[in-house]
Amino acid sequence: MKMELKGSEEIAASREALWEGLNDPAVLTKCIPGCKEMVETGPDAYEVKLQLKVAAVGGSFDGKVRLHDKEEPVHCRITISGGGSLGTGNGTAEFRIEETGPGTSRLDYEGTGEIGGLVAGVGQRVLGSVAKHLTKQFFTALRKHFAESGEAAA
Amino acid sequence: MSEAGRRFISANRRVREDRRFVAGHGRFVADLEMPEMAHVALVAAQAPAARIVSIDGSEALAMPGVIAVIDGAELAGAVNPMMNGLDTPNVKRFPLAVGQNRYAGEWIAAVVAESRALAEDAAEKVRVETEPLGYVVDVEEALEPGATPVHPEHGSNLLLDRTFDWGPVEEDFAAAEDRLSLRVTWGRNSTVPIETFGVIAKWHAWEGVLDVWASIQMPKYADQIARALKIPGNAVRVHYDVDVGGSYGVKRGIKQTVLCGYLARKLGRPVRLIEDRLENMRAGDAHGPERIFDIEVAFDRDGTVRSMKMRALDNAGAYAGRAPFQLGKPIGAIVGPYRIGSVQYRAMSVTTNKTVQEAVRGFGQSPTNYAIETMMDRVAEHLGMDRIEIRRRNFIRKEEFPYEIPSGSKYDSGDYHTVVDKVLASADYEALVAERDRLRAEGLCAGIGIASCLEPSGGRSSFEPLLNEKNKTSTWMEGSRVNIDGLGDVTVAIHTTSSGQGHETLAATVVGEVLEIDPDRIRVVRPDSLGSLPGNSPVGSRMAIMLGGAAANAAKDVKRQMLAIAGQMLGVSAEQLRYESGTIHGPAGQSVSWDEVVDVAHRRFDDLPPGTQPGLTASFMQQVPGDARLPENGKGEMYPCYSFEFHLILMVFDPVLARPEIRRYVIGHDCGTVINPHIVKGMTLGGIAHGIGAALLEEFAYDAEGQLMTQSFLDYLMPSAHEVPEVEIVHHCTPSPLTEFGQKGSGESGYLGAPAAISGAIHDAVRPWGVHLDKLPIRMSTVSDAIAAAEEQGKGYR
Repeated sequence: MKMELKGSEEIAASREALWEGLNDPAVLTKCIPGCKEMVETGPDAYEVKLQLKVAAVGGSFDGKVRLHDKEEPVHCRITISGGGSLGTGNGTAEFRIEETGPGTSRLDYEGTGEIGGLVAGVGQRVLGSVAKHLTKQFFTALRKHFAESGEAAA
Repeated sequence: MSEAGRRFISANRRVREDRRFVAGHGRFVADLEMPEMAHVALVAAQAPAARIVSIDGSEALAMPGVIAVIDGAELAGAVNPMMNGLDTPNVKRFPLAVGQNRYAGEWIAAVVAESRALAEDAAEKVRVETEPLGYVVDVEEALEPGATPVHPEHGSNLLLDRTFDWGPVEEDFAAAEDRLSLRVTWGRNSTVPIETFGVIAKWHAWEGVLDVWASIQMPKYADQIARALKIPGNAVRVHYDVDVGGSYGVKRGIKQTVLCGYLARKLGRPVRLIEDRLENMRAGDAHGPERIFDIEVAFDRDGTVRSMKMRALDNAGAYAGRAPFQLGKPIGAIVGPYRIGSVQYRAMSVTTNKTVQEAVRGFGQSPTNYAIETMMDRVAEHLGMDRIEIRRRNFIRKEEFPYEIPSGSKYDSGDYHTVVDKVLASADYEALVAERDRLRAEGLCAGIGIASCLEPSGGRSSFEPLLNEKNKTSTWMEGSRVNIDGLGDVTVAIHTTSSGQGHETLAATVVGEVLEIDPDRIRVVRPDSLGSLPGNSPVGSRMAIMLGGAAANAAKDVKRQMLAIAGQMLGVSAEQLRYESGTIHGPAGQSVSWDEVVDVAHRRFDDLPPGTQPGLTASFMQQVPGDARLPENGKGEMYPCYSFEFHLILMVFDPVLARPEIRRYVIGHDCGTVINPHIVKGMTLGGIAHGIGAALLEEFAYDAEGQLMTQSFLDYLMPSAHEVPEVEIVHHCTPSPLTEFGQKGSGESGYLGAPAAISGAIHDAVRPWGVHLDKLPIRMSTVSDAIAAAEEQGKGYR
C-alpha cells in the first residue's frame, strides 16, 4: 500500500546544529523510535536495524538508507528500502531547513513510500496514525536531544 | 411413522455428534499429543512476485529449540508437484515457493522447532533476499497481451478458455422480441472456519507407513499425498477419526500435508502444522471464486426467457488449484430452475498474483446463481414485470421432470411453483409488501429480495472430463460396511472425516431404517484409510445420497442374509418370510428371533444355508445414480439430483447511515426426503449466514500493489449474531426417483440463493434512485454513496 507523510516542525536549534544532528548516526539512533543500530556503510549510506510494534504485529525491519542531493545545511533527499519480519518498505523523502530566528529553525519534510507484507495487510487501518505517532516520537526525542546538548553546552 | 411408512428417516431425532461437540469432547487435530512432536511455522513472501535470490536459515538454526529450516528448492528436489486437474503441465505448484513466489504471503520456507512459539520466533530470523518481479492482480489486466505471466513457463495467464454452445443460441436470440446485457461481479470470499487447517504427520520407519491426522475434507487425499511424496498408496494411513472444526469445502490440505509428511520422514519425528489465522487467510490457499459475469439474455415481452449467453471470467489466483473446475460445476444447473432453451457459456480461468482458490461450498454454483437471478430481476425490471411472476412464468413445470437442460443434465424432480406458493402463503406476501411500503413511508430504504435456485447434488465429478479430455472420471463412489457382531449388535463403518455434516447420524439412521432397529443402538466407526472402502469424502453435496445409499444397501444385504438363515431354520423359502423389527416371521405363525439368526451366523456353520457366508457382514459400493456416460461434445449429465430453494426476504436500511437489517428471511426448501431434519436445518441456517457474508461483508480485498488487505477478522468481516436474522424455513418434499429414500443433497442449501436474494432486496430498496450495484459484497458505504450521487443528479424521490 502507498503511504504519504508530510509535515513541518519547529526545533530549538540553529540550522547548522539541526543539519549536523540529522546527519549523525548516533543522534538518529537515539531519536528514531525502535532503532537498535545505525551503521555508516559508505559515504551517505547507512544500514539501520529497527524493532517496532504496529497494531497487532511487532517485529524487525532492516533497511538501507541513502542520502542524495545534499545542499548543506538546507536540503537533503533520502531513499530507504528494506524489509524484515514486519514487512517491506521503500520510500523517498526530502527535507528542507529554514532558519526562523537565532537558535531556532523549521524543518519541512515530505515523503512517499510503499509498504508491503505483514504490516500492510494487518496494520493498514492504523498505519497512517502509527506513522504520525512515530514521527511525533522522533521529533520529541530530537527536541530533547537539542535541549540536553544545549544545557551541556551552557 | 412418517407417510412413507418410515420410522427413523425424517423423524425428529437428535444429531448424535452434537452431544460430544456440545460437551466439549470433540477430538480435533490440536487435541492430539504425540511424544517427540515437532512444530512448523512458515516464512511468508512479502511481495506479490519476487525472485528468491537466497534464503539463509543460519541465524534461525542457531536459536535454541530449532530443528530444521527448509526451502522450496529442497522440497522440490524430493517431492512431485501437487496434482493439477487441468492439462497445464507448466503450471507447477509445490508446498513452498520454488525459485520465485507468486503471491504476497506465499510460503517460501518452513521452520521446525520444539514448539510452535519457538518456530515462529525463528521464522522471523530467516533471511530472505529477493528481487522484485512484475505482477498482476486484476483479472482483465492479466488477460491483456503483454501482461506479466504469473507462470512464465506457461506463456500466458490463461488456464482455461472453453466456449460451450448448447444451441440453437443465435436462432433463439434472433427470434426473441427483446434482449439486454449486464455485468455482475462476485467478490473473492471464502468459508473461513473457526478451526484453521491442521495436520500431524508421523513416519513409521519400521512399518514404512506415514500416519496422518488432519482436519481434512478432501477426495482422494491419501492418494495425492502418496503421489506427491513418491511412496506407495498403501504407505499412507489417514486417520479418519479426527473431528474437523468446519470446512465448507476449503479444508483440502494437500500442500500442508506434503510439507509435514516430507519433514516427518526427514526428521524421524512427528511433525505438526496448525496454521495461525494469518497463515490461513493469506496462504492456506483457501480463497473462493472471484468472478466477473457478462451476460446477454434474449426474451419475449411476456417475460419468457429464450436464450442466454454467459461469460464467466474467474480470477484463479497464482496456481491452478481447483479454481477452474469451479467454473464447471455450474454447467449442471446453468439455466437455474428455468426453461431457457439454449445457452452459450464461456468459462475462463486466469492466473494472477493472488492467493490460490480452493473449493468453497457450492463449488462455483452460488456465484452463478447470483448472476442468473440478477439477470431475471433485470429482465423483470426492463419489462416492468413482477419479479415473482417472471420466475413462475419461466419455471420448469412439475410434469416436465425428468427435464433435460441444454447442457445435458437431467433434473430429476421438483415442484417449483408449489414451493413458491407455500412460501408466499407462509410469509403472508401481501402483508410483507405492505410492511415494505410502510417502512418506505417512514423514509427508510426497504426492499424485498427474491431468489430461486437449484442445488445440484451427488455428482460424479463430470466437470473434470468435461474440462480436461485426458480425464476419464465417471464414478465418484462411496463405500460403507455393516457388521452384526456375535452379540447381535450392529456397527456401521464410514470411510471419511466429517466437518459438521453429521455422517454418523446419517449412517445410523438409514441402517436403523432398513433393519428396523433404533439407530441409537447402532455404533458408527471410522476405520483409517488403509482399513477403509473406497470413497470420495463429503464434497458436492453428495453424502446423503452416496453414503446414505451405501449404508442402506449394505444393511439390505445383511438383512437378506438374515432372511436366508431364518428360511433355512424354518424350512421355508426366504420369499415366504416377513421381517419385522429384527424378528423374522414365517407363513404359519412361527418366528425366528434376531439372536437366533446371529447365533447361527456366528457359530453354527452347519446350519447356514448354502451360499451364505458366516459372520453377518456386508459391504456396498454405491455408484452415483443417473447417467454415467462421459460428456460428449461438451455436453453431458453433471449431477443426478437437484434440490430447490426459494428465498424471500425483507431488508431495510437508512439511506444515509445504511446499517442493513434483514427484517424477514423466509426460505422454501425442497431437498427431497430429509434424513434428519436438524442436520438439514443446520445446513440451511449456516448456508444463509455464509450467504449474508458473501453479499454484504466478506472479501479478500487486495490493494493495487498486490497486498492482501483483509488478513484478519479485523478487516475480513464475518456475519455475527447481529447480522444473521431468524430464518423461517418452509419445507416441501419432492422425492428424487433416483435415490434410496428419495433424498437429495442439502449441504450447500441457503448459501446458493442468499447472496442473490440480498442483492435483489437492496436493488428493490434503491429502485427509486435507479441505481445498480453490480459487485458483491455490496458495501453499505457504496449504497449510501450511490444514493447520494443519484440525488446530486436529481434522481430519486426524496
